[in-house]
Amino acid sequence: MKNKKIIIKFLMVFGILIVAALAGTIRWHALTTLNVDYDEDDYLRAAQQYTTIIRAGDWDALKETNYRSEHPPLAKIVFGISLLPLPEKTLIADRPTSAGPNQYLPRDLLRNARITSAIFGTLTAALVALVDPVGGFFLAIHAFTTKYVSQVMLEALPAFTSILSAFFYIQWKKRRRKEFAWLIASGLFLGLTAASKYIYCVVGIAIIIDWMIVAIQSKEIKKTIIPLLGWGLFSIVVFFAANPYFWADPFGRIKETLVYYSSYSTTATEVTSAGYPFWQPLVYLFSTPKSWQPNAILVAVDPLITLFAILGFKSQLKKQSLYSIWVLVALVFLFIYPVKWAQYVVILTAPLCIMAGEGFKNTILIPILNWLSQIRITKSNSIAVVRYDTKKALPWLIPGIIVFVLFTILPLIFEVGVSLTDFNSISIKDGFEGGIFREVWGAFTGKIQSVDTEFPFREKMVSFIGTSAYPIVLRSVTDNGILFFNLFWTVASVGLQTMLGLLAALLLKQKKVFMKKGWEILFILPWAIPEMIGALMWVNVFQPETGWLSLGVSQYGTSFPFSFLNGWQNSSSMQMLVLLIAGVWYGFPFMMLAASAGLKLLPKEVYDAAAIDGANGIKVFRWITWPMLVPLLVPAVIIRSIFAFNQFYLFQVFPTGQLTLAGLSYNLFNPSGFFINGQFAISAVINVITVVILVIFVVILNKWSNASEGVTYA
Amino acid sequence: MRKTNWLQQILTQISLLVIGLYVMVPIWGAIRLAFDGSLKSRPVEFRLFPKELSLKPFLSVLDRPYQSVDFVDLLKNSLIVSLGAALIALVLGASLAYAFARYRFPGRKPALFVLLFAAMLPPVAFMTPLYIVLSMVQLRTTLLGLTLVYVTFALPFCIWNMRAGFQSVAKELEEAAFLDGANSLQTFWFVSLPLSLPSITIAGLIAFLMGYSEFAMGWLFVSNAETVTLAMSIYAMVQSGNAQPWSILASMFIIMSIPIVIVFAVLQNTLLDRMLFVSQKK
Repeated sequence: MKNKKIIIKFLMVFGILIVAALAGTIRWHALTTLNVDYDEDDYLRAAQQYTTIIRAGDWDALKETNYRSEHPPLAKIVFGISLLPLPEKTLIADRPTSAGPNQYLPRDLLRNARITSAIFGTLTAALVALVDPVGGFFLAIHAFTTKYVSQVMLEALPAFTSILSAFFYIQWKKRRRKEFAWLIASGLFLGLTAASKYIYCVVGIAIIIDWMIVAIQSKEIKKTIIPLLGWGLFSIVVFFAANPYFWADPFGRIKETLVYYSSYSTTATEVTSAGYPFWQPLVYLFSTPKSWQPNAILVAVDPLITLFAILGFKSQLKKQSLYSIWVLVALVFLFIYPVKWAQYVVILTAPLCIMAGEGFKNTILIPILNWLSQIRITKSNSIAVVRYDTKKALPWLIPGIIVFVLFTILPLIFEVGVSLTDFNSISIKDGFEGGIFREVWGAFTGKIQSVDTEFPFREKMVSFIGTSAYPIVLRSVTDNGILFFNLFWTVASVGLQTMLGLLAALLLKQKKVFMKKGWEILFILPWAIPEMIGALMWVNVFQPETGWLSLGVSQYGTSFPFSFLNGWQNSSSMQMLVLLIAGVWYGFPFMMLAASAGLKLLPKEVYDAAAIDGANGIKVFRWITWPMLVPLLVPAVIIRSIFAFNQFYLFQVFPTGQLTLAGLSYNLFNPSGFFINGQFAISAVINVITVVILVIFVVILNKWSNASEGVTYA
Repeated sequence: MRKTNWLQQILTQISLLVIGLYVMVPIWGAIRLAFDGSLKSRPVEFRLFPKELSLKPFLSVLDRPYQSVDFVDLLKNSLIVSLGAALIALVLGASLAYAFARYRFPGRKPALFVLLFAAMLPPVAFMTPLYIVLSMVQLRTTLLGLTLVYVTFALPFCIWNMRAGFQSVAKELEEAAFLDGANSLQTFWFVSLPLSLPSITIAGLIAFLMGYSEFAMGWLFVSNAETVTLAMSIYAMVQSGNAQPWSILASMFIIMSIPIVIVFAVLQNTLLDRMLFVSQKK
C-alpha cells in the first residue's frame, strides 16, 4: 500500500518533469523562430527604460516611468531586469499602437526578454501538470499559448501568477478554509497578476463566484465574508505595492487608465477595422496560429484541446468547480469586451487545459481502461453476460447488411480511396477508367510511391499522394474559422429551435386553447416548406436593398420594426443573427412536433397525482414534465443537430459568404463552379474530415443521451 | 378560478400570435410577390399587399417556367425522383431497422454507432463516390441515377428513424402475437409495422423532402433539360438574377410548397390517429 503511494508520487513528479521539458522545448523553438509581432517593440522599449533606471539606481524615476501606461508595469519591469546582463543599446523608437511589427529590434535584447517570458510559460505548464498531468501536457502543446508566452508580450507572467492564485485558493478550500496562509498567498498572486495585466484578474472574479456558491450551499456566508474581504483588500495592497507608477498619484493614474480603455476599445482604428464578431475568442480556441508562421509552431492541436475541454466541463465542475467557472467568466468577459486580440485567450488556456485533461480522461482514458479490464474479466469468466438471439436476427440482418454495405459503406471506402489521390476534373477520364483503383491498390501493394503535387490539382493522370493533403486541408478549415463556425452554428441553432419548439408545444398542450388546431397547422408550415424555398423566402425579406426589410427602412426610416437588422451584411454577428432567424424558423416545427408527441406519451396519472398534491404549473414542469420529456426529446435533438451541422442549402442560397464544411466541399467539387473547381480529391478529404468530426459528435451525443444504448427489450 | 383561465388564455394567444407572426413573415413576403402582376423585375417599394392583384405570375409558371421545359415535366421529374427515393429507402431499410430494434447480436452496439454516424453524413459526403460510380455505369444523368443518389442520402437516416419506431412498439403486443403462433415475419407485418407507421411515415416524409427540395447535387449530376426537377429549376432561376420578375419566382415557391403542405396535413392526421391508437391500448 505504502509502495503504491510512493510509485504514484514518483510517477507524478516524472510526469511534471516531462511536461516541463516538453513545454520548455516547444517554447524554446518558438522563441528562436517566431517573427517579431505587433507590440513586442513597445514592451522591449519599456524594458529598456527600466534597465536604465535600475542600473542608475534612480528609484524616483521608477515612479514616473511606464511606457504604454495602459498596462501596469510589473511584467515590463521583469523584462527590464532580464536585460541587465546585456550591454546598453539605443532606445527603441516610440511608435503608435497601430504600427506594423518592427522587425529590426536588437536580437540579444529580444532573446533575453523572450526567454524570460518562456520561463514563466514553462512554469505555468508545470504547475498545471501538478494539478492534472494530462492538462499540463495539453497546455505545453497549446499553440496559441506557446506563441504568446514565447514573445515579448505581457501574457506569460500574469498567466503564471493567476494560476498560482487559483491554486492557493483551492489549497485553502481543500483544508476546510482554516489555514489562512494559503489564502494570503492567493491574494498575493492575485495582486501581482493585476500589476502585470488587468484582464488576467478574471481569475479573481472566478474565485469570488466559486466562494459565493460554496458559501451559499454550506450557509456560511457570514463566516466567510471577512476572509473574502481580507483577501480582496490584501490583493489590492499588493497591486499598489508592485505598481510603482501608481505611488505618486494613485487616483489620477487610475483615472488615466480607465479613460484610455474606454476610448481605445471603441475608437482605436486597429480595433474598429478588425471587425471581429463577438464570438471571435471561440474562433481562436477552435483554430491554430500555425498558418501565420508554420515553421515556428511545432504542434497545433488547439481545436482538439478545446473539444476535450467541452467534454470535461461538467465533470470538472463537480470535481473542482473553480476551473470551469474561470473559463466561463473569462469567455463571457471576452465576448463583451470589444477588443478581440488573439493573445487574450491566454487568460483562460490554463484552466481550459485542466478541463481538457478531465475530458480526455473521461472520454478516452477511462473507456479504454474499462474495455481492457472487461477483456480480462471475459477471459477469466467463460459465462457470457449478454444473451444473444443472433439466430433469430439473421434473416433480418443479412438483407439489411447487404443493402447498407452497398449503399453506405462502399461509397465511403471509395471516398477514402479518392482522398489519397489527386483526382480532379482534368484527370476525370483516367479516374473513370480505373485510375483511382490502380493508384490506391498500387500504393498499398508497394508498387507505386506517393507523388508530390501542387494544389489546385490539375494533372491529366490520377496519382497517389498519400495523406499529404489532410494536414493542409485541416489547417485551412480551422484557421479560416470554417470549422468553428460550423460547430457554433449547430449549437446555437439547435438550442434555439428546441426552446421555441418546446415552448410552442407546451402552449398548445394546455387545455382549451382557442384555435388550437389552426395554430398547430400554421406552425408546421416552415417544416412543410422545402428548406431551399424557406431560405429563399427569408432572402426575399433580408436581401440588402431589394428585400422587404431594406425597402421598409428606406421608406419609413428607423421606426420600421426590426430596422436595427438593416445593414446586417456588414457585421459577422448580425449575419449570424439573420442566419439564425432563418435557420430556427425552418427547424423549430420539427422540435415542436417531437415535443408534443412526447407530451402525449406522458402518463396522465402522474399529473392527476400532482394536481391532488397541489403542485403549480412551474413545479409540474420542473419535476414531472421536463424529466420525463427529456429522454423522448433527445432523438429529435440529435436529428436536428445532424441537420444543423450539415446545413448546406441555407448557406448556399443566403448571400452571406459564410461557409460550412459541406459548402466548401461542394464548391471545390463542382466541376462547373466559379471557385477553384473540380477538386474531387480535396473535396473527398474534407468529407473524410467531416466524417471524423461527426464521429466525435456522435460520441458526445451518445454520452449525454445514451441514444444508442440497449434495446428496449429483447 | 374562471378569471385566471381567461388571463391564461389571453397570454397564451399573445404568445402564439408572436410565434405565428414569425412563421408568417417570409411566407407572406412570398405570397404578396406571387400575386402581384405589376412587377417587371425586383421589387422596388415596400408593400404589405400586391399592387396589382393578378394570377398572371402563376399562369406563366404553369406554362413554361424554366427555359423550354413544361411545368408538368418538372413536377413529374420531381415526384418520380423523390417519391421513388423515399419508398426505396424505406423498403430497403426496414429489415435492418427491425433487426436493430428487436434483437441482440454480437457487434450490435458498434454497428448502431456506425448507423447513427452514417445518418449524420451530409449528402455532400456521398457526392464523390456516387458521381464516379454512376458515371461509370452511365446512369449519372438519368432520373434513375438521381433517384439512387437520393436513396443513398436517405437510407441511413430512414433506418435509424424506423428503428426508433419499431422500438417504441410495446413488447407485450409482440409477445402476445408470438404466443398466438405468429412467426417473426407475421409479427413484423401485422403488429410492429402498423404500430410504428407514424415514425415510418415521418422517416419517409423526410426522405421525400430531401429529394424534393434538393437542387445542388441535382445540378452536379444532371446535365440535360429533360431530367431537371422543380427545385433545380428554381435554383437556376435565382442564379439568373433579375432576368425574370420576382413574382414568377415567388409563385414557383408557392406552387412547389402547396403539395407538400397538403401531403403533410394528410400525414399529420394519420400520425395523430396512430398515436391515439397507442394511448387506447392502455
